[in-house]
Amino acid sequence: MSRTTDILVVGSGMAGLAAAIVARSQGKRVALLSRGCGSLNIGSGCVDVLGYIDGRAVAGNPLDALDALPPRHPYRLVGREGVETALGLLREVCARRDAPLNAAATGNRRVPTILGTLKPTWLTLPSFQAERLETAETVLVAGIRGLKDSHPALVTAQLRRYPHPARIRWHETHLENPMPGAHRNLSPLDIARLVETAEGAAWLISGLHKALRATPADLVLLPPVCGLCGTTWKGLAAAVPVPLVEMAALPPGVGGLRLYTALLEELRSLGVDMIENARAVAAECDGGSCRALVAETACGSRRFEARAFVMATGGFMGGGFQSSPGEAREAVFGLPVLQADGAPLPQRPEDWSDKDIFGSHAFASAGVMVNADMQPLRADGAPALNNVFFAGRSVGGYDFAAEKSGNGVAVATAWRAALSACAQC
Amino acid sequence: MSIHHPTPDACIACTACVVNCPVARATPNYLGPRLVGPAYERFRLLGLGEEASLHYCSNCKNCDISCPHGVQVSAINMTARAEYCLAHKPALRDWVLGHGELLARLLRPLPAGLKNFGMLNPLTRRALDRIGISARAPMPAFAPERFRDRLAKTYQGMQPRKVALFPGCFIDIYDPGTGFDLVWALNRAGYEVIIPKEFSCCGLPMIANGFRKDAEKNAKRNLRALQRMRAEGIPVISSCPSCVLMHNQDVPEFFPELVRDGRPQVLDAQAFLLDCVERGELSLTPENEVAERIIYHAPCHLRAQGGGLPGYELLRLLPGLRVDNADAGCCGISGSYGFKKEKYDVAMTVGAPLFDKVRRSGADLSCSECGTCRIQLVHGANRPSLHPVSLLRRVLEKRA
Ligand SMILES: Cc1cc2nc3c(=O)[nH]c(=O)nc-3n(C[C@H](O)[C@H](O)[C@H](O)COP(=O)(O)OP(=O)(O)OC[C@H]3O[C@@H](n4cnc5c(N)ncnc54)[C@H](O)[C@@H]3O)c2cc1C
Repeated sequence: MSRTTDILVVGSGMAGLAAAIVARSQGKRVALLSRGCGSLNIGSGCVDVLGYIDGRAVAGNPLDALDALPPRHPYRLVGREGVETALGLLREVCARRDAPLNAAATGNRRVPTILGTLKPTWLTLPSFQAERLETAETVLVAGIRGLKDSHPALVTAQLRRYPHPARIRWHETHLENPMPGAHRNLSPLDIARLVETAEGAAWLISGLHKALRATPADLVLLPPVCGLCGTTWKGLAAAVPVPLVEMAALPPGVGGLRLYTALLEELRSLGVDMIENARAVAAECDGGSCRALVAETACGSRRFEARAFVMATGGFMGGGFQSSPGEAREAVFGLPVLQADGAPLPQRPEDWSDKDIFGSHAFASAGVMVNADMQPLRADGAPALNNVFFAGRSVGGYDFAAEKSGNGVAVATAWRAALSACAQC
Repeated sequence: MSIHHPTPDACIACTACVVNCPVARATPNYLGPRLVGPAYERFRLLGLGEEASLHYCSNCKNCDISCPHGVQVSAINMTARAEYCLAHKPALRDWVLGHGELLARLLRPLPAGLKNFGMLNPLTRRALDRIGISARAPMPAFAPERFRDRLAKTYQGMQPRKVALFPGCFIDIYDPGTGFDLVWALNRAGYEVIIPKEFSCCGLPMIANGFRKDAEKNAKRNLRALQRMRAEGIPVISSCPSCVLMHNQDVPEFFPELVRDGRPQVLDAQAFLLDCVERGELSLTPENEVAERIIYHAPCHLRAQGGGLPGYELLRLLPGLRVDNADAGCCGISGSYGFKKEKYDVAMTVGAPLFDKVRRSGADLSCSECGTCRIQLVHGANRPSLHPVSLLRRVLEKRA
């Protein structure tokens, strides 16, 4: 197949989806090629922007803290205004698709997880409005029988250790198993899908009413089971007398699927061509520009021509990098994967990670070095290719897990990369 | 038979396949692709017994499409099924569903009317239901004559080029009309269509029902013809996405020793037609005003091919048609899966969002490349359904 498109985006995680939407909205013909889904559809769907800098929690609006980051950090390359615009576009799209994202007035939200930790994040769906805990005095933590990783006692025991929620009176309850006889342990996704049906919603509403009669409380904390679409959430929230707040869960985290679905719907209505199950493996380059990518598919290799390319391949975790002892390379163009300070990864693979699991790992912030246009750079600092742009976790210079900045950086760099790509064609 | 096992090692248990599995969505009785596939594989390799819900896998391949790490989950499941069926003889029902072509060959002496009366009357349907073929499932009717036999008697004009067609059982046995629509388009593009005599069922229904050895036999026959075509420089195409996927992906995966001398490719017929358009061999100037609204459904086995949606692209190039992509996931039928009595409800639940989308689309027609998807679409959404090449012909053919 040789039909040329304007912009070929590779990867269908947060960065790829966002880049495709931005580029298509500029009127370009866009194709999105991917082998597999990214981490968005399995995650909690909370859009972290910046939770910590060097281990210190960011207080207030995280956008105000971006300037404190090192100059090579992707947020610094995009600039505060750019980050704000990019997140604004994401919010517009999600609101239009019944998955509204909003921020708390006070700064980062601390969303409880089903393991009883508090996760700082910035934009979330209304069901994760954890700041409501701040005015609650009695909270009922609801587990569900048959649901895996559902341990209200663990949640309350853990949350009591945090200084702020400590004054809350915590109670626990278990809702009845809504799918007894299932052959598998239920996941929050199973229950969220059930809640999309009339019987499922009735089970949840009556279960919560019953639990609240037994244990009056002014807020209910529950796993992310409140359906998959915004209208279902609104119906539930209206049918229960106290606020509901969902906890972030292990994959499948449901919230991410809600956003993923919203972004896919947008892509499709905009008319982005989707090429699934194709892994880009090589590039045809001509001097400083790329003509086509070669992808491996179930039906052999195929060529995909475009005028510009956005690579949103997700780094080590997403499959965008290949590594062997002493070396890591970006998988399609063979670009070097470097540490935040521009140094190569250490020779000994043991040194790629820290002994402390929550420590600072060399691999975690390693990636492709880019300039402010998101063009990959050569060792001498000049762009390696003029019509190729990187976005998301493949970009180096930040550690999303330590900073809590994953989806935020993905959206900001995707926006910048997409606009740069549009300027090429 | 020693069976080669696809490796499960790249699985990091991320749950992307669980999120995207239509069967796991439809029933809590399936453990899900991650656990039945790569996770349980470790127990299989230790020689422990089979996971009880393996039979729920419909081989639709949405797990493979969604896996970011390249784990061939469906191949792990189908390999497990093959091994299980070596130790436990599959039921007669599964043999019947896996060998539609052979059955059709045995019934060939009978006229279609009699065959259809014989197969589709309520009494037979009840008997079939008793062996496990749901009486509620839509059953396709036999065509009066096999597609390839009719094609052999059809004059195609003097064409400058040749193309070989792998018709697939659906067109060959039940739906020659679609086959002739494709032939019409190919003739118009300057290709004479030939069907090598070896071509037999691609083997996918055999794999899905646990008859690996029979699938291997068919693969050998088909490969003989594919290799001959390659030597003669004649491209081979198929308009059935499942056959294309079976030839190009599953045969090399399951029977690597058969393709040691290279993997002959079977091309998607719609992609081939798009290439004809691009080369200037086929013009898409409309002859007819067909101001129809169409809703298109992408078969899972087409999405799994990694070539995008060429049939949909072709439709969008046709002036006068308004085509929307339903994009509502699997239709549920998965070849023979939805015909099984104990799977019928699962299949209908899987397809429900798609049926709903089609019904609410306001479209007059649905359209899809896969024959059994079309049967399921008609059954579930109560609208006629056509192959993209049939629409192509409707728009382009000069009517007398
Ligand atoms: C379990 C989990 C939970 C998380 N939760 C949160 C959260 O709550 N909030 C938050 O802000 N962040 C979270 N993150 C982090 C965040 O998801 C990532 O930082 C961000 O999504 C990265 O997006 P991406 O698009 O760059 O990469 P990915 O999501 O990894 O996507 C990469 C895509 O590229 C594809 N791909 C890779 N190579 C190729 C190739 N060669 N050819 C074709 N396709 C290819 C992959 O299949 C995939 O589709 C979480 C991460 C994980 C793993």
